[in-house]
Amino acid sequence: MTRYRTVDLLVTVLIGAAFGVAFLGYGQLYTLIGPLTAAFKPAEGLLAGIWFLPAMLAGLIVRRPGAALLAEMVAAVLSMLLGSQWGWGTAISGLMQGGGVELAFLLTRYRRFTLPVAVLGGVLSALLEWGWEKIAYYQEMSWAFSGTMLAFFVLSGALLCGVLGWAASRALVATGAVDSLAAGREAARTVQV
Amino acid sequence: MTPAPAQTAPAQAVHTGGLRWQPLSRREPTIAGLDLEIPPGQRVLLAGASGSGKSTVLRALAGLLDPEDGDGEGLVPAPARPGERGLLLQNPVHALVGASIGRDAAFGPENAAIPRPALTERASRALAAARVDLDPRHAPLDTSGGQQQRIALAGALALDPGLLLLDEPTSMLDAPTAAQVRTAVLAAAEEATLVVAEHRIEPWLPHVDRLIVLGPQARILADGPPEQLLHERRDVLVETGVLPAEGHEARETPDRVPGDGEVVAALRGVRVPSRGLTAPQDLEVRAGDLTVLTGPSGAGKTTLLRVLTGSAQPGSGSADRPEPSRIATVPQDPEHSFVAATVREELTASPWARAEDLALELLDRAGLAHLAGAHPHRLSGGEQRRLAIAAALAQSPALLVLDEPTVGLDARRREEVLDLLRSARDRGCAVLAASHDELLVGAADHRHDLPAPETGTAVAPEPRRIPADALNPLTLCLIGILAAIGSFAVQSWQGGLLALAPAALLAPLAVRSPAGAALRLAPILLSAAGLAWTTALLGDAPALSGPAWLVGLKEAARITAFVAPGVLALGAVRPTPLGDALGQRLRLPGRPVAASVAALVRVSHLGRQWSTIVETRTRRGLGGPRSPRLLAGATLALLVDTLRGAEQQALAMDSRGFATALHRTWAAPSPVGRADLLGLGIAVMFLVWPLLAEMLVGPA
Repeated sequence: MTRYRTVDLLVTVLIGAAFGVAFLGYGQLYTLIGPLTAAFKPAEGLLAGIWFLPAMLAGLIVRRPGAALLAEMVAAVLSMLLGSQWGWGTAISGLMQGGGVELAFLLTRYRRFTLPVAVLGGVLSALLEWGWEKIAYYQEMSWAFSGTMLAFFVLSGALLCGVLGWAASRALVATGAVDSLAAGREAARTVQV
Repeated sequence: MTPAPAQTAPAQAVHTGGLRWQPLSRREPTIAGLDLEIPPGQRVLLAGASGSGKSTVLRALAGLLDPEDGDGEGLVPAPARPGERGLLLQNPVHALVGASIGRDAAFGPENAAIPRPALTERASRALAAARVDLDPRHAPLDTSGGQQQRIALAGALALDPGLLLLDEPTSMLDAPTAAQVRTAVLAAAEEATLVVAEHRIEPWLPHVDRLIVLGPQARILADGPPEQLLHERRDVLVETGVLPAEGHEARETPDRVPGDGEVVAALRGVRVPSRGLTAPQDLEVRAGDLTVLTGPSGAGKTTLLRVLTGSAQPGSGSADRPEPSRIATVPQDPEHSFVAATVREELTASPWARAEDLALELLDRAGLAHLAGAHPHRLSGGEQRRLAIAAALAQSPALLVLDEPTVGLDARRREEVLDLLRSARDRGCAVLAASHDELLVGAADHRHDLPAPETGTAVAPEPRRIPADALNPLTLCLIGILAAIGSFAVQSWQGGLLALAPAALLAPLAVRSPAGAALRLAPILLSAAGLAWTTALLGDAPALSGPAWLVGLKEAARITAFVAPGVLALGAVRPTPLGDALGQRLRLPGRPVAASVAALVRVSHLGRQWSTIVETRTRRGLGGPRSPRLLAGATLALLVDTLRGAEQQALAMDSRGFATALHRTWAAPSPVGRADLLGLGIAVMFLVWPLLAEMLVGPA
């Protein structure tokens, strides 16, 4: 299960690149919650989970050690090269977000790819990313607000990364686009066409 | 460019005995016992209806069926040497991996670990043999379909294949372009064994020694010299749809008079010079008529359609069109428009398509009634095309616009699509299709020809050189990383502002144009301002008090010192040289690095797909570009597109030796020179300067 075939490797890096592109469109989502975040900055944490999605999808679909981390790093490097306003901070964020999801799968020794594991991955990513942002960006924010932000991060990680990512991977399996990958093969054993 | 001799190694024989293959996801084998002997040097044409397993047979012959994907017997072993068997796919986009044509052709030799001077020689010889006559610095994904297929051919030739396997290499091209590619293939494969799978056999017939007709599950229905089969086994050829049925009359509605319907949409004097549309175009689309927009690839067909539907602005001229809810569009890739989990739901997914009985009738007419519960993405190519058209018609549009609705389909499936378009026309819908398919053009009431684009193979102007270009990408990365670390020394607003001085002074060395610099710096300054505000509001000091603002200013300066040097330095970093540096200088594993570079090179392509997907969905009335639902659906569609492509891409890359490329070489060196020593000095300066600045301003 640890050997990366070419298709595993490509799917992993392309998930990263595709999200790097989709993220450019996601900027629009921040305008939706704009009124909320202008009044209360920590509310921005509510959307944090979407940035961990490449890691979650690569992990759930490719199911190989390192896939989650690699996909998230490709997405991060891509946004850096495109001129992300967080510069090298983006690479550390990629490491934290990819690392959190990776850690969840590692804890199951890459044997379980279920909803609870996905939620755990989202939560771990949220914890790590929050820690990094606290150090790098919000040093001077009071602990009361930082704590609120952490709660938003964890909630977002669990729902937008964990639940949504898991649902998206199910939806992808249903399309047949991942039939040649680990996630698709598992489904193929149950439903044959 | 001087014509080079054919590149092939001694021709290879092909042998299979009792070859069976059953993918894990299928209940029936796709190849059910194939016995095939092809002597070296023979040219074989593989024909058969869509779904007869031609592609799988080619994969099998290439030795690229993965035992992890299914159950196989008598599988052909993987090639003994990288690139021994070249493989060309239907859509060349999947074969392209390089940021430049030159790098793309070098990909195979890199995988074969051929050292540098020989490697680049091979690449340029292969490009000449494949008749690629563009500047090798050109980006392959920005060239036309015909050029792309020849670049892909060069990619295969660079490894001297003894067997060339071609999977419908011309089915997406217009006739003249297809002829050019065919000529290039035949000339380049002079010495090799050649197996071509194609559903339009006529143009290949004069050039092949043998025709094999496959039936379901890749069973051989007929096998022999082409003239003999055409003569003796015509029935089989017609029955399988390889040859068109004779005496096939196009169904015509008897009392139709084209041209008397009202004008539903019109273009007047439209020019889009940025897309090669320099001559003003006038076009009227009438209700009850089928109008076909033709012209060679790159002429601007898609652009003109987008202007007509209001998705693009013309450079000059004007367009009249119905309300958005009365326009339905079908994109070239039908999967880009799918949103529902079943065929039935897909038909009424648009808020403008609510008539249940119409939906059911269309389902029936499109021949999809038996698939009502199936997942749209799991349909075959022809079924997907018909579903997208039926879903568009379910909106009862006044204007139906289609982009290449028959591309890549075999004769029978093209006929089915045409039948649907005829029925739309008979309902009084104005139908406009961009197409180079002669079947469609022949059936049209009106045709509008676009002139060939000016063939100046314009190479994008070389970007202005800046001092930062002299540095190795790793040095540029180091500057950003050390600057980020150094910024943590900022403790006061005075120190913070002073810490920014070197970045401001050195910025001109890394800035290509003032506009570009502003584009990169504006988000940083905006974020810094946001952080200042947040800190002043939510810090420990009383909200928005004087001291709170000073802490905010310190934070803004600190984050700018953290980010700005890196962002400016990264402006000079390109994916390919970065990959070269990671592979050669840091000696990171070659396969992940090369795959990541290939993914980053596709970003502009992915961006185009993303825009098409979002546009198609907006046009179906599924929401605006800010709707979370639309964004979620678009992301899923982009992932489906990307993942399907990944499978083809993996195949193309493995046929160029990527699977075994554990120790690969790199076509370009990653030089580290005297400039990098200076760069190192700058990096160290960025590391220590904020600390020194704090000492200079004294304890806060």
